[in-house]
Amino acid sequence: MILLSYIIFGAIITAVLLPLALRSRNVSANSTFLNNLNFLTIVHSAGYLGITLYIMLRVPLPAYYFKHYLFIDSLAVYEVLITSVIFLLASVYGHGYIKSLLRAGELKAEMLGLYYSCFNLLMASIVFAFFSNNLALFWILLELTTLFSAVLIVTLGARENIVAALKYVFIASTAMLFSVVGLIILFSMTKQVNGTGTLNWSELMQSAAAFSPSAFVLAFAFIFIGFAAKAGIIPFHTWLPQAHAKAPSVVSTILSGVLLNCGIYGILRLYAIAARTPSQHTVSVILIIFGVLSMALAAFSMLPRSNIKKLIAFSSIEHMGLMLVGIGLGTFTAIYWTLFHILLHSLIKALLFFSAGILHRQYESNKMLEMPNALRLQPLASWGLIIGSIAILGIPPSPVFLSKLFILIQVGAYSPPVLFLVLVLFLIVAGAFTFLLIRAFSRHTDDNIPTYHAHWTMRMPIVALFVMIIGAGIYLYTGLGDILTQIVTGLGF
Amino acid sequence: MISPLLVTLTKLILVLVLFSALLIILQRNISSLFNLYGAQSLLMAILAFMLFAHNGQVVLLALAILTIITKVVIIPYTLHKVQAGAAIKRDVEFRYLTPVSSVIIGIVLIFFVYYVLGKVLPTGDTLLTMGAVIGVSLSLMGMMIIFSRKKVITKVIGYLVMENGILLFSLFMAELPFIIELLIIVDLIIFIMLAVVLALGIDSTVEDFNSRLTAFTTWLKR
Repeated sequence: MILLSYIIFGAIITAVLLPLALRSRNVSANSTFLNNLNFLTIVHSAGYLGITLYIMLRVPLPAYYFKHYLFIDSLAVYEVLITSVIFLLASVYGHGYIKSLLRAGELKAEMLGLYYSCFNLLMASIVFAFFSNNLALFWILLELTTLFSAVLIVTLGARENIVAALKYVFIASTAMLFSVVGLIILFSMTKQVNGTGTLNWSELMQSAAAFSPSAFVLAFAFIFIGFAAKAGIIPFHTWLPQAHAKAPSVVSTILSGVLLNCGIYGILRLYAIAARTPSQHTVSVILIIFGVLSMALAAFSMLPRSNIKKLIAFSSIEHMGLMLVGIGLGTFTAIYWTLFHILLHSLIKALLFFSAGILHRQYESNKMLEMPNALRLQPLASWGLIIGSIAILGIPPSPVFLSKLFILIQVGAYSPPVLFLVLVLFLIVAGAFTFLLIRAFSRHTDDNIPTYHAHWTMRMPIVALFVMIIGAGIYLYTGLGDILTQIVTGLGF
Repeated sequence: MISPLLVTLTKLILVLVLFSALLIILQRNISSLFNLYGAQSLLMAILAFMLFAHNGQVVLLALAILTIITKVVIIPYTLHKVQAGAAIKRDVEFRYLTPVSSVIIGIVLIFFVYYVLGKVLPTGDTLLTMGAVIGVSLSLMGMMIIFSRKKVITKVIGYLVMENGILLFSLFMAELPFIIELLIIVDLIIFIMLAVVLALGIDSTVEDFNSRLTAFTTWLKR
């Protein structure tokens, strides 16, 4: 019962953390109270990472638990690995970042307990969302992630944060309610096929061939609305730029690097079921259309941006669109490289948001054009932003080049006009990034701006991410590739 | 065999549900909105109970009791209590749609949903068709309330109406396992609490909001 270890571990951490967190008092930035909370959070994420690595190496998959409500398979473990890595880095980064926010008075001390409890609960709910075999359970945990992340956005307490969080909660929850309609249709379909209704992924995969095509497409469309809203797919993306830009950088990292993956993960699982029904073609067309539309919207929205966090947020929409296209193509190669792209997207988004966070502490602003002498004052964060942008654009030494290249080859095989369109969109995105970065980093002033000394915990994750992004490219040919192959065959492609 | 009387009664209640949705669209007084929502939820509970009388599934009985406890008593009571402390009594601001045009669109929606679902649902079972169509229309009307009202507190009512619509749909299509239904309702309650706290934050000043949030966390601690 390896899954129990997650639950027990999470429960122990919660038992220690919650009473501590709820004893909110006026604390200074250096108090042991804050250090304890942060230490517990780091232990929590490190523990999840450790268990996940152990499962990847030792445990035979898939394994089922609790009457098949929960399970571990290679795809779930892969997503949890990404999740725990990002959470670990974010909690280390948070150590310095939260203190800095406290000192600047942007974060109130009373909010600390709320912040840390929601951070840990969010981590647990995302991990168990990936491990849930039951679609309805997955839905419930996904709703919980919306709630916890919305609270994390409001911890800053500014009016714009409340507006952003409310928008997020309403759009995501409303869309997710439509998913329930889809779930009910799916449930009654399995009832017709099997006699007893089920929403378990594993059983849905088996009975998929007998589903009636029109009813399945209807169910898929309803469920897709909810998951697409979580993944920031057009037309349900409107919450995303605002929420990402207003949240503290640590939270933006989680939103972009982990939370969007949950939506894409749900869509991928659902597509794996669709691929076994006669309606695969219709579903593919839906996914590709929404994917390309998201990319187009994001690309054109990125051009006029000067707020770096908004730019990165729109870039997330663009990449979610690309992943949707990759899933919609539905071939072995496309899914394989989409999965690789998910990993890299999370790592690079973390790098970008961490760097933007340091620059925000230096200049108290996200407006890139108000950051003179950035390269001299914050060399690590500036280079993090530049290298991260190069990496996310997929310029050759970056491993993203590989995933984009192979997905694009598949797009070309599907339809050359779509390939042409996507290439043009990539060009616009590259233009938007280059245009902003060149203008931002060529600004000089003779004023003497005091340097903000980023705590080592804020710099260390950036360096670690550099190593990991390069490592992902190298490791792909030694071990990661096998894992990805195993996942894609497990999904039945 | 289902008795004809029960079928007629069920249909009658379905029409009443639709009527309550139209009233919610038209209503501007916020505390009346809560009462209307409570009444609508009561209709849901009665429906669940009647369906239990049809086919004797215990899940339906449990669902009826759960609905009464949470949606007829707890949620409207909490909303009233929260409302008493807030300054706003009426929601007269609308975006995109006025109430009358909302009602007209709502009626058009019902025909649209009937057309779409008619293609998928098995023909012949009028009760199933009626329940499913009214369920989905109700959730679409809820969504209409969400985007046509400006105050967050009325948006919350819209969300709740949507959820009732989905409950109705699930009652007639297929009941999910009880544990799932229970979790969905728990989820709903957390959502309401969060949305209400945030709504107060938006309707008052930020300082007010912070003190309220602190009060809320101390309340949670108890």
